Amino acid sequence: MEYLASDKIAIVDLNTRDIIEDELDEDLVLDKIGGAGITKHLYDQHSAGNPIVLGTGLLTGTLVPGASLGIMTAKSPSTGKVSHVPLNLDAGMELKYSGFDYIVIKGSADKPVYLWIHDGILDINDAGDLWGKDTWAATDHIRDEMGDDLIQVLCIGQAGEKASDLAQIGINYWQSADRFGFGRLCGEKNLKLIAIRGMGLLEISEPEAFVEDCAELIAAIRSNNNTQKQGIAAVSAALGEEDLSDWLSPLTHRHMACFNTPVATNTFLFTDEDPALLEETTVTEPGFLFTDIFPLVVLKKAGLSAKDAGLVLKACAKYGIDGAAVAELSAKSGLTSPEEIEKTFPDLKGPVESTGKSVFSPWAAMGQDINANWERRQAVAYILGLHPIWLQMATDLTEKKLLDLAGLGTEMEFTPDTLDEVIGDILA
Amino acid sequence: MEPRVQETEFKIPKIGIYTGKGASHSWLWFVEIFERLGFYNLCFLTEFDLVSDSLEKVDVLAVSGGDTFAIAEALGPQGAKQLKTFITRGGLYLGSCAGAYLPLNSSKEHLNHFNFVPAKITNLTKTLPESHGMKEKLCTCYGCSFIFHAVREAVEVTTSGLPPFGESATFTAPLYGGPPMTVTNPASVMATYTAFTDKTLFLVDRELAEKTLLGNAAVIREKMGHGHLHLFGPHFEHPHFGEANLFLANAMMLDLPHQTVPSETPENGMAILAGSKKKGFIRDFKRELSNSRIVAAGLEMIPLKWTIGSKIYETGKIRVFLEALWQRIRSFETSGFILVRADEVDHLVQTALHVTKNIRQIKKGWDRKMDTLATATALFNLLNKTSALFLEIYFRSKLFHADSAKVRMLRRPGQFRKIEYERFHGQIKKMVA
Repeated sequence: MEYLASDKIAIVDLNTRDIIEDELDEDLVLDKIGGAGITKHLYDQHSAGNPIVLGTGLLTGTLVPGASLGIMTAKSPSTGKVSHVPLNLDAGMELKYSGFDYIVIKGSADKPVYLWIHDGILDINDAGDLWGKDTWAATDHIRDEMGDDLIQVLCIGQAGEKASDLAQIGINYWQSADRFGFGRLCGEKNLKLIAIRGMGLLEISEPEAFVEDCAELIAAIRSNNNTQKQGIAAVSAALGEEDLSDWLSPLTHRHMACFNTPVATNTFLFTDEDPALLEETTVTEPGFLFTDIFPLVVLKKAGLSAKDAGLVLKACAKYGIDGAAVAELSAKSGLTSPEEIEKTFPDLKGPVESTGKSVFSPWAAMGQDINANWERRQAVAYILGLHPIWLQMATDLTEKKLLDLAGLGTEMEFTPDTLDEVIGDILA
Repeated sequence: MEPRVQETEFKIPKIGIYTGKGASHSWLWFVEIFERLGFYNLCFLTEFDLVSDSLEKVDVLAVSGGDTFAIAEALGPQGAKQLKTFITRGGLYLGSCAGAYLPLNSSKEHLNHFNFVPAKITNLTKTLPESHGMKEKLCTCYGCSFIFHAVREAVEVTTSGLPPFGESATFTAPLYGGPPMTVTNPASVMATYTAFTDKTLFLVDRELAEKTLLGNAAVIREKMGHGHLHLFGPHFEHPHFGEANLFLANAMMLDLPHQTVPSETPENGMAILAGSKKKGFIRDFKRELSNSRIVAAGLEMIPLKWTIGSKIYETGKIRVFLEALWQRIRSFETSGFILVRADEVDHLVQTALHVTKNIRQIKKGWDRKMDTLATATALFNLLNKTSALFLEIYFRSKLFHADSAKVRMLRRPGQFRKIEYERFHGQIKKMVA
């Protein structure tokens, strides 16, 4: 596979510590396109090892607006379904440039390990020093040891280590949309974290035409009101959920977009510092990056202040537990104090309503029915490597345009029929 | 009437490149230009090699930028003697920037062993001029005086057009502290500084810069015994300056020794590394290169620099070494086998490991507000060693695979004006008068 790919799949066996590297077969790409289409295929191929499969879409890391998505595919310990968790912020982009297109992690290690994926090299390293650390400390530790602050860290906290049903794999310091208990799966594999950094390059088959088409798309998108929203509150409202603006704005410090995504879906709240501060804060942890609408809405409905909601979700992120599940269970038990809520983490158990019902994370879909249209749009995002919330909002990004771009970039032809088949496979 | 062009057998020269104490990253530019020319018969020499008999085994010695004082001190009188013997017996010395200052007449300690060329530099002053930017790059102490650097980046140079080059040409070349020179014999001047460009960065007042540079020699050619010295103020070997590269290559071809050193068979005394052993070596070395370049890329975003000897090193220089190796490791992956000496592979992986440790140590030092000078000094030393060792293996294997010693060239005896070569395939196609 020459274009828009590193042409490498790694099969990691944690039992034996063997790593096999395969080429990415063009026929597989023609058949399954990429992203969740191929992670699901690889999952099925290696299902005996109860694998976690990481991958990216053909368009991930490119100039296509919203091309930020990496995908983590595994069988959910919570639902029993093969499900897909979005890897956003810069994690998907770094994975794309890491020198691997797909990574299958099967088996379980006899002692804690972490994976270091960089420039086409995959190392299985001892994680004895990391086990027991919360996600923030583990992320700091790995970045300090490796000497780079841009390393993306998919990490579990104590919840995952203790195999909690509600354990979540986080992205750096923040919550992910893992609503399937993948954090537990990592804990069972003795896999503390996956650190990713890549300085690779992508070849594009028709670079000038590809860039031109991307520029045209960006121009078209700018005229769409729906795609002018910035910040988690505005995005929440645009998706039909409650408008959180008034609640959050007194603490809002800044909005942050995922890699090359025109809409900033994340908002940083200063919970422990003056949000109007115009100078570099001296507080070690001034606040929290809200990456997930779902728990915010539930905590607001439960009567928490924005600051307390921030404190609860910061504690969730550090402990590596699903904030939406914590919000739901706290609301049911009438707890509103962040300290009291945090004390419940070690013994917290489901079931919870917020667990993924589809095979995709119900990331921003609280106010929307999980219907065929929603699922199809999510599937397209997960197959091609686009931010799933963004794609829900950016109606100008039609399936045809996206398939044409994938074809232009790879010198291959992808038809709507193939896309239908791949979506069918994923949703089956 | 067009003179007759002859096709003759041409023996690729054995070229030594100085990578020892005082050498900065710019020797890698010489590596690139020689590789593009198809001159794979390269070796990498430290100060220890130069004071021993290593120069007896090369036809050309290239000394690029760095710290002239450190190079002179490291080579000492014994190194100077060896260098003199090398040139007088017919060897060609290519000196660029620091390498150009080295053989110029000087009364200063260490440098005074290398009084080979009676040229004067025009950037010497007793009163330091006012800085107009990049103050840390403005000058180097020279006894009670200063060597000051009037400009940096691209300047315009014009070649003299003297025989055997035929006609004058004007192009640009980058100046990073190299000398402007005056000589008593005008025939020695191969090129002069003629103008500044829109890329030229002025470190002093423009009028002073003009007085210091324009009309003075940018490149000189001196005969010494049977051999020659070519001294380049600007970095004609910089890979982004094609015309300057061509001129350097042409000049070099003109003065190659008539009797080159005997060819060594590259595979002599070597082990063949292939299959899983080769794969394992590449993986181990690549792992450390990747670890290093990831940290080095991050270091480029912080305002950290060091003064090592009399030379300023910015963090950006680290990756020049690492990328030079990274770009070339792919050829190891695709080639069937590589030629190595016993223990060379382990040694290379170990030095690469130390490079990673040092770079990470610098990052930690920066984060913890600690002094990193000692680590940086060790790091640049290691980068030179690792790069030289890797490139030694790389070119040895490439020479064996390409058999480039048998490249045939078109030449007209005594006259070379243009060398045409395929830019990326590194084989000279023809020379045209």
